Amino acid sequence: MLTKLSLAGIKNCFKDYLVLLTGLIISAAVFYMFANLATNREFVKSNTQISMASQVFIFGMILLILITIVYIAYANSFLLSMRQHDYGLFMMLGAKKNRIGELVFIETLLIGVISTIVGIVLGIGMSMGLSQILFNQLGLTVHHFNALYWPAIVTTICLYVGLFLLSGIFNLAKLVRTPVLKLLHIDDEVYLTKRRPLVQLTEIVAGVLLLAIGYIAMAKIMTLQLLAVPLALVTITLGSYLLFSAVIVGAVELLKQTNFANKKLHNFTLAQIMFRVRSYTRILTIVSLLFALALGAISVGAGFQRQAPQMAKSTSAYTMAINDMNKQEHNLVNQLNDTHTLTYSQKIVGNTVYYNEQEFVDHPLPMLDSRQALNDGSLKTLPIAQFKKVALDDMDFTGLVPKNGQQKSEFATQSDFENLNTATTHTVTIIRLNNVLAQRKILDRLEKLQQQRFPVPTMATVGGFQTYKMFNALFSGLEFMGFFLGFAFLAMLASCLMFKILSGANKDVVRYNMLNRIGTRRALMKQAVRGEILTLFALPGVLGIVDVLFGLQMFKPLMYHPYAMTGWSILIFCVLYGVYYGITTLIYERLVIPKEQMNG
Amino acid sequence: MQKTPVVSVSGLHKTYGRKNEQQYEALKGIDFTIDEGEFVGIMGASGSGKTTLLNLLSTLDTPTSGSVEVNGQDITGFKGKALSDFRSEEIGFIFQDFNLLESLTAKENIALPLSLQGVKKAEISKAVKEVATTLSIENLLSKYPTELSGGQKQRVAAARAIVHRPAIIMGDEPTGALDSKSARDLLDLMTDINKNQHVSVLLVTHDPFSASFCDRILFIQDGQIGQELKKADNNRQTFYQEILNQLGTFEQ
Ligand SMILES: Nc1ncnc2c1ncn2[C@@H]1O[C@H](COP(=O)(O)OP(=O)(O)OP(=O)(O)O)[C@@H](O)[C@H]1O
Ligand SMILES: [Mg+2]
Repeated sequence: MLTKLSLAGIKNCFKDYLVLLTGLIISAAVFYMFANLATNREFVKSNTQISMASQVFIFGMILLILITIVYIAYANSFLLSMRQHDYGLFMMLGAKKNRIGELVFIETLLIGVISTIVGIVLGIGMSMGLSQILFNQLGLTVHHFNALYWPAIVTTICLYVGLFLLSGIFNLAKLVRTPVLKLLHIDDEVYLTKRRPLVQLTEIVAGVLLLAIGYIAMAKIMTLQLLAVPLALVTITLGSYLLFSAVIVGAVELLKQTNFANKKLHNFTLAQIMFRVRSYTRILTIVSLLFALALGAISVGAGFQRQAPQMAKSTSAYTMAINDMNKQEHNLVNQLNDTHTLTYSQKIVGNTVYYNEQEFVDHPLPMLDSRQALNDGSLKTLPIAQFKKVALDDMDFTGLVPKNGQQKSEFATQSDFENLNTATTHTVTIIRLNNVLAQRKILDRLEKLQQQRFPVPTMATVGGFQTYKMFNALFSGLEFMGFFLGFAFLAMLASCLMFKILSGANKDVVRYNMLNRIGTRRALMKQAVRGEILTLFALPGVLGIVDVLFGLQMFKPLMYHPYAMTGWSILIFCVLYGVYYGITTLIYERLVIPKEQMNG
Repeated sequence: MQKTPVVSVSGLHKTYGRKNEQQYEALKGIDFTIDEGEFVGIMGASGSGKTTLLNLLSTLDTPTSGSVEVNGQDITGFKGKALSDFRSEEIGFIFQDFNLLESLTAKENIALPLSLQGVKKAEISKAVKEVATTLSIENLLSKYPTELSGGQKQRVAAARAIVHRPAIIMGDEPTGALDSKSARDLLDLMTDINKNQHVSVLLVTHDPFSASFCDRILFIQDGQIGQELKKADNNRQTFYQEILNQLGTFEQ
């Protein structure tokens, strides 16, 4: 009987359940996708030659688990807020508490199991789709990526089912311990926040100071080294928390004094925000931090990828060196736009390659101005005497040797060079172009031809193109991780915020019902809902963006233009975040705004 | 003296339940008028249709047939904005509970109807102060509802119901959740508003004591108006007795 009643209750708020299930399914899917990458050692190893990569993934995984815990806690409170009135009623009618507890437990676990299974299936599908997109559209090279990966499935199931078991036990305990009357009138509690201005001012000052310390710490990463990261994390977290609690209250109080407050439902919206601040400060802080982390991950990942061509320029004075260019290769070189080519003759005697000094006088081989990290790739030409001194130690020059295993390079005067008695004279042609990325197809073919003619196990060609390809592969992995971490975090944090907001909806039903009765236009009520939720979404978003803008300072020593991709990432992020905002408002409006007339 | 009716109801029917579902006819043809400045009570047994009638008069629900005119306008066809504007301009509500928004102070609660109408800040302040003085709640204005007693809350609610000078105040058992002292205060207050501010009042109640404050009482029985009692020149005690007698005859 009770089971039937409970099922009827679920049927009544089926749409709300659908929201809950969808959210959980997406969360499980995202988690699966992430676990798929993080638990796949082969993948991490083969895509990121840097040792930090696996640590990045482990760090990301821990963060994601933490978010998942918070997320499920909020989803669970949403579930509980939907059901506790029903269960209170059943108890009033005389149902045994233990029986109710059992029902709650089973219901929670069932929701968990269903969403986990469907989520994993969805996650496998999404992984397939994502890898297709990355391979085909972006041309990223990602190895060892399987959509279906058992360790990830097991991890996801363990985490989710475990968390839902805990939630079930929590719900059971909560329902059994809360007095029935309280369950029925759980919505009536109201917090009053009256603060002293001095406390508030102190909070603001302390908050700003802490944020400033965090931001400076990130900018000074070169001096502070590894200490910068934990220092920034702690100060920024504390600073955000203080700032949120003080600034919101202060701003609302200020606004209440103005004419703005007396118009339409503004006073109501302000009061709503004020009353929620206390319970929202913590989640707003978390959301702003995660927002920053996610946005930062995407900006940095994409930024690294974009700098591969620049790095190619800064590591070599030319793009590619072609030995003994043949007709086919010549045709290909002619197809390249905006190129400089230089050709030098070579004669081989024993283990030594001789160059005609005069050719370098007539057409000097440019050299890199600087070989330091993050140099701008500018070139210089030296007088021949100086050139001869440094050239023999310069990789760009020594790499020009024919790929037959010769080791040494020597200069000879024109007459000496002509007198060298060798059967053939070799040539090496140097091409230098500005835009590697746009012409990479031709360069690829050139490289392949050279590789076929001079099969050397270690290195196919020398020059910037080779570096470009290496960095491109490396950064593809990084960009993939960045995007992945970023979107996983965004999806999770926005869902957290969404459920936190939605679980407060049932308290608002009564309020909006009253507003409707005293003749508030629906449009005004919708405006009120939108304004209130917009504030809750915008605050952490804005602070998150500010965090990122300062946080990218940390990457100055590693990147040419840490801010190059920030605008785009912010845009993409805001669009996705906006979608979450839209969904939340739509659901919220449906939950709280009454029809104008009972049967209307 | 010929008074113009504020509310005039004719042939009002209300049937709950859709076609081809189980239907219940809650109101079976109701006709009456309320004159300007009149204090009218509606009494009846539980389930007789009092709340249903009030919901129709206040446009919270639509009648199956019949018409309701307020200040000469037929309100049964109102939709959307017209509907909410009508409610916020012409009607003042006092309910049994959940009257006030607990996130707003008493003052802000009272100001709400005026804010909805876009009245200027200075005027709002003035109007709120005036009505607060009338109801002697000036010293409660900055408090939140949780800091007020039940009776004080209903006073604030009454202030909100009259602050925008509606054509009529409607109350559905407004004294239902109050002790007898607070109930009496609220009723005195409503009488006062009715007499001094010339606002019509429609009070739904099943409590004879509350009803004795009215000028005229309509008794609803099974969805129809069965009886009508007028106070005329009687004092309240006599009228109270009359009501009790009337209720007695129903019970036989
Ligand atoms: N939404 C509804 N759907 C179907 N029937 C309804 C609905 N609302 C009320 N009724 C029925 O209409 C009749 C009149 O109800 P109403 O609420 O008007 O009674 P009432 O006079 O206010 O009673 P009470 O004094 O108990 O508040 C009742 O029999 C009730 O069952
Ligand atoms: Mg009723």
